Amino acid sequence: MTNETKNIMTNNAAELVRGVGNLVTLPDVFIRINSLVENPNSSTADIAKAVQQDPSFTVRLLRVANSSFYGLSSSVDTVSKAVSIIGTGQIRSLALATSVASSFEGLSNTLVSMEHFWRHSLYCALIARIMAKKIGRFDADAVFTAALLHDIGELVLFNRLPKESQEALLLVLDSVDELPIYQAERQVMALDHAEVGGELARQWKLPLMLAECIEFHHDISAAKQYPREVALTHVANILALMAEIHSNELDDVAPIDLRAWEVLGIKAEDQDELIAAVVEEAQEEIAEAESLFLGK
Amino acid sequence: MDISQTRIPLSLPGFEHIKRAWNDAHDTFAARLNPGEYYVTKNEEAIYTTLGSCISACIRDRVTGVGGMNHFMLPASVGESGWKAAGLGSSTRYGNFAMEHLINEILKNGGSRKHLEVKLFGGGRIIANMTDVGLRNIEFARDYVATEGLLVTSEDVGDVFPRMVVYFPSTGKVRVKRLRSLHNNTIVEQETKYLHTIEDKPVGGDIELF
Repeated sequence: MTNETKNIMTNNAAELVRGVGNLVTLPDVFIRINSLVENPNSSTADIAKAVQQDPSFTVRLLRVANSSFYGLSSSVDTVSKAVSIIGTGQIRSLALATSVASSFEGLSNTLVSMEHFWRHSLYCALIARIMAKKIGRFDADAVFTAALLHDIGELVLFNRLPKESQEALLLVLDSVDELPIYQAERQVMALDHAEVGGELARQWKLPLMLAECIEFHHDISAAKQYPREVALTHVANILALMAEIHSNELDDVAPIDLRAWEVLGIKAEDQDELIAAVVEEAQEEIAEAESLFLGK
Repeated sequence: MDISQTRIPLSLPGFEHIKRAWNDAHDTFAARLNPGEYYVTKNEEAIYTTLGSCISACIRDRVTGVGGMNHFMLPASVGESGWKAAGLGSSTRYGNFAMEHLINEILKNGGSRKHLEVKLFGGGRIIANMTDVGLRNIEFARDYVATEGLLVTSEDVGDVFPRMVVYFPSTGKVRVKRLRSLHNNTIVEQETKYLHTIEDKPVGGDIELF
């Protein structure tokens, strides 16, 4: 690679993301609900109406509302009931979470199968949600969606810079799996998937919390307004790796930044038990979640 | 330690082409095996490789500490149940080739057959909906060591994960790490490339079998 191309690449996360603009777009239903949620003059009836305009989202929403994911005692048979029970902000999160995998279908690559990519993402989302509920003072559905999207920049990199991305993956293996993938990406491309994902979130005008979780999940001290959500996404990402390789040893996966535990207020003596419980719960939920969110 | 003062230990004759480098994580020099390669050493150094459906046998003389690792698979073109019936046909011949070269080099460098200990790794089913080539490789390796009467001290084979195996022949220590699925396709691609080379160039009939 010449110096010139490297220079261009140092600053082109924005360029890369613009390059995928016609391959992947935010789902319309999310855009509509998002603007209604942010508009103080809109009512829950307006939001229910927006949901109903998308029959496939309506079906997915009712499936999720009636699943063990919410564990509601009464059955949710209408959209307006779902909106009032689950909440308008949560409906917005679900609109994104249930459609994001199909939005990215057009962004193909040969380096990772979509099935593997979304399984890791979904593990991260489930774990973030479980931990959010255990710890408290989180919007559990919002962090679920943030965690589901945390590696989204990887799909952009794999599609736009496949050769460089493969080189980064080979560097990781050559290092005996000690070099973290985001550091390998920085060595090869002078940017990493977190930065690219953050840029995508900004260009899509996603809520700032999501953008920060995506951009800073490997660099939690850079978080600005949402340090707790960023720390939660960071921990959930590592625990998702444990769930994925069926391990209960922290030694088998990338290290957790100890400051994340501090931010989350979890003491060292409580961590092992929490990790084991959370990983196991996510493993129990993964099959149903794949069917609800990835349409499997 | 001052790495610049540490010189890479000499490799045994015939293994000069194997890529070796200092490894910080394990504080040692380490040889990196690609599919189809093998490496034997008398030094205190590590050997590592990544395995999808391929197999690595780690073999050492527990008295002298000479030992090594191979990395192989049987050609996949063999039919569903054909390879066993084929006996010393072209597919199993390839596995025999990989095992015998490793063992012969160990014996040539001070190993003794009665002191050999074997560890087996790999054979994962990392591609869904495909004939389980990993299992075929596992069965071959187990059959081979049983027929040769070799002592297997540990194995970690099968399942759905790729693996990173780091072996220290001088002590017999081994570190097996399951790899996340992000690496599956890269590993499959390396193994497929290797598979094409062995399918294109079948092993000749002039291998010494013992």
